[in-house]
Amino acid sequence: MKTIMVFPERCIGCKHCEIACAVEHSKSKDLFAMFSEEVLSKPRIHVEVGEDLLTFPNRCRHCNPAPCMEVCPTGAIKRDEETGSVIVEYGKCIACGMCAIACPFGIISFGKTYEIIIDRDVNVKCDNCIERQKEGKEPACVEACKTGALVFGDADDLIKLKRQSVTRNITSSPDAKEEPTVPENIVLWRELNKKYSHSSKY
Amino acid sequence: MAKWTAEEKSIDKATQEMIRKAERDGVETVWDRLEKQQPQCGYGQLGICCKNCMQGPCRIDPFGDGPKKGVCGADADTIVARTLERMIAAGAAAHSDHGRHVVLALHEALEHDAPYPIKDKKKLKAVAKKLGIETENREIKEIAKDLVSVAFNDFGKQDEELIKFADSYANEKQKATWKKAGVEPRNIDREVVEAMHRTHMGVDHDPTSLILHGIRTSLGDGWGGSLIATEFQDILFGTPQINRGEANLGVIKEDYVNIVIHGHEPVLSEKIVEAAQDKELIELAKKYGAKGINTVGMCCTGLEVLMRHGTPIAGNYLQQEMAIVTGAVEAMVVDVQCIMPSLVDVAKCYHTKIIDTSHIATFPGALHIKFDERRADEIAKEIVRTAVENFPNRNKQLLQIPKYKSEAVGGFSVEAILDALGGRLKPLEDAIVSGKIRGVVGIVGCNNAKVKHNYNHITLTNELIKNNILIIGTGCWATACAEYGIFLPEYAKNAGDSLREVCETLGIPPALNMGSCVDCSRMLVLADLIARDLNVDISDLPLAGSATEAMTEKAVSIGTYFVSSGIFTHLGTVPPVLGSKKVVDILTKAACDVVGGAFFIEPDPTKAAKVLTEYIEDKRKKLGI
Repeated sequence: MKTIMVFPERCIGCKHCEIACAVEHSKSKDLFAMFSEEVLSKPRIHVEVGEDLLTFPNRCRHCNPAPCMEVCPTGAIKRDEETGSVIVEYGKCIACGMCAIACPFGIISFGKTYEIIIDRDVNVKCDNCIERQKEGKEPACVEACKTGALVFGDADDLIKLKRQSVTRNITSSPDAKEEPTVPENIVLWRELNKKYSHSSKY
Repeated sequence: MAKWTAEEKSIDKATQEMIRKAERDGVETVWDRLEKQQPQCGYGQLGICCKNCMQGPCRIDPFGDGPKKGVCGADADTIVARTLERMIAAGAAAHSDHGRHVVLALHEALEHDAPYPIKDKKKLKAVAKKLGIETENREIKEIAKDLVSVAFNDFGKQDEELIKFADSYANEKQKATWKKAGVEPRNIDREVVEAMHRTHMGVDHDPTSLILHGIRTSLGDGWGGSLIATEFQDILFGTPQINRGEANLGVIKEDYVNIVIHGHEPVLSEKIVEAAQDKELIELAKKYGAKGINTVGMCCTGLEVLMRHGTPIAGNYLQQEMAIVTGAVEAMVVDVQCIMPSLVDVAKCYHTKIIDTSHIATFPGALHIKFDERRADEIAKEIVRTAVENFPNRNKQLLQIPKYKSEAVGGFSVEAILDALGGRLKPLEDAIVSGKIRGVVGIVGCNNAKVKHNYNHITLTNELIKNNILIIGTGCWATACAEYGIFLPEYAKNAGDSLREVCETLGIPPALNMGSCVDCSRMLVLADLIARDLNVDISDLPLAGSATEAMTEKAVSIGTYFVSSGIFTHLGTVPPVLGSKKVVDILTKAACDVVGGAFFIEPDPTKAAKVLTEYIEDKRKKLGI
């Protein structure tokens, strides 16, 4: 099973994934042309601020079974068998919002898309870049992330990476210098950020 | 997430009241915009994004797994150092261009009869003497012409020698340090231009060499452009003397035509203050139903006129939108620096006219009445008349002026301090040597929406005076203290016992207002005089600096010229340098070996006060006092 694993400690809040997502879902797939298109493409991944100015790139987890799919009254939400992605058939969506109620991650968003000619909002959540995946590419957000906060791959392989890091930390002797998962300057930057008075206000 | 309340945005009651009013009136303010900007890009915050050529923008992965170099091959150290160098250059350019405008105003007065008479002939002669210009038996005008030419030369000479102003004002030990490090500024403008050249694609890549030039550029500001600004302003408009004034939004008067002068250059604001006293215009205001014309300041322009005339100051940087939210401001007259373009949008919700006046600063949606030194009086009157004629457009339903204001004693130019001490700094120096005053910390301006408004300024000041450390300072810090009552002699009761005793004997507050941010040069001059008297380096003295709510590139330049003048300097906000350990090491450690000063970063003002106090005590020990 392929998935996108999020390593939140590596997210520095640049929102580069958001821009890349919007470009990928625009008609022209071009940053500069995108802004003059009739329907403006919007990001389907959301980098929002939590406590202490820390950030988390939140996107559709493509659950299986998917609560949104289970509750959709018109059958607009389906699974792409090849990639396992949960996708929306825009023409069938009636924008009732049941999917948004059911989604445990709050990542459903409604908006317009160039892909169908209707003058109303539909569920335009993350489609896992299935077109790119079928061409053998990573999803656009993963490609854009230069810090490794978003990684695409086999779920078990990615989990193994995390497991190995935990094992290293647990087995290192108390005298040995603990291997940092993030560099010193990032730790310092986050510590300093915590001290800003607005750090927990968003 | 819990709502970000007015009390959490500012410690100032007047500002809190206006934040709540802005919410009711549906006005977007600086804090709303900061909230919408979250999260702010980590590459930008760490300084590891480079936009200097069109192969980019490039960014370095701070975790070390992704790209370690930009397309050209620049690594994080080069990119961070280049970014910092450009910030210093921009800050130095802002101060120095301001200085140039003042010299040009004097030049216009001398050559083309622009209405700027020399108000302080004593200072003119003192400055001329310092620069080695003959003053005996010469006409004031002739001395002034020579002075203008020395200043012009510091902006334009092409030799390798130290600029004349720095050469004449800095002590020999200081100059020797700069010479040894190769950081003597040769020409104020040239260092800025060279900074842009060095940071162009494919030029200087060594963080040490880039930062050394940053130091050189900043020294051209502190001991050049800013110093020239201060000295020429004193000559043209009078050297500040100890006086009283009022501060905070409560200085805006309900029954008067209110004009807020906002920005930095007194070349404009001095004329507005004059024009607002014009009998004909006051009569006109009365005709429209006002009791008169009330001119108040904002930001550094406010401090310039507060220092020289006791003109009330309505607020500092984060209060500019708040002043308009009172609904009682007929016109906000702006020139350059620290002016939010959002003022125009805020003003749309009320009747306020935003009038931009500088040829280099145009605000879309504002009324443009551009200033010209030769027609200064005429233009100032036109601006005041525009404000007066706007009085009937006030919407009484939107009117709400906070009551809060505080009295403040200010005007502590170096000359005023000397006068107060009987012509010599000895009483101050004796108090330092005897330990009654443990040391001096110079706190400089800025507010920053990321910091609770005025919180760092007031907390740091309070903590330090408790430890018997005398505070001097400028800029938005000064306005914060004025609003908080710190500039009242009776505030000395909050100081440690020995500082309190000194303040009570001299009748001064425990923190001294030395003026606008360009007047940080006054602090350098004072430090230099003390170092001369005690025959030590500035870096040996129990002195430190702090930019505790730092925001602008000017603050980066000020911080750098403080450090480069041997002063240990605290930053309360984080500049975009943490992406390079090497640059951080240079700024916080290695700089000390080269120029005698270094930076330290600490957003918590209580902790910063502890470090600054320890530093000062350590310096005392080393001096054996």
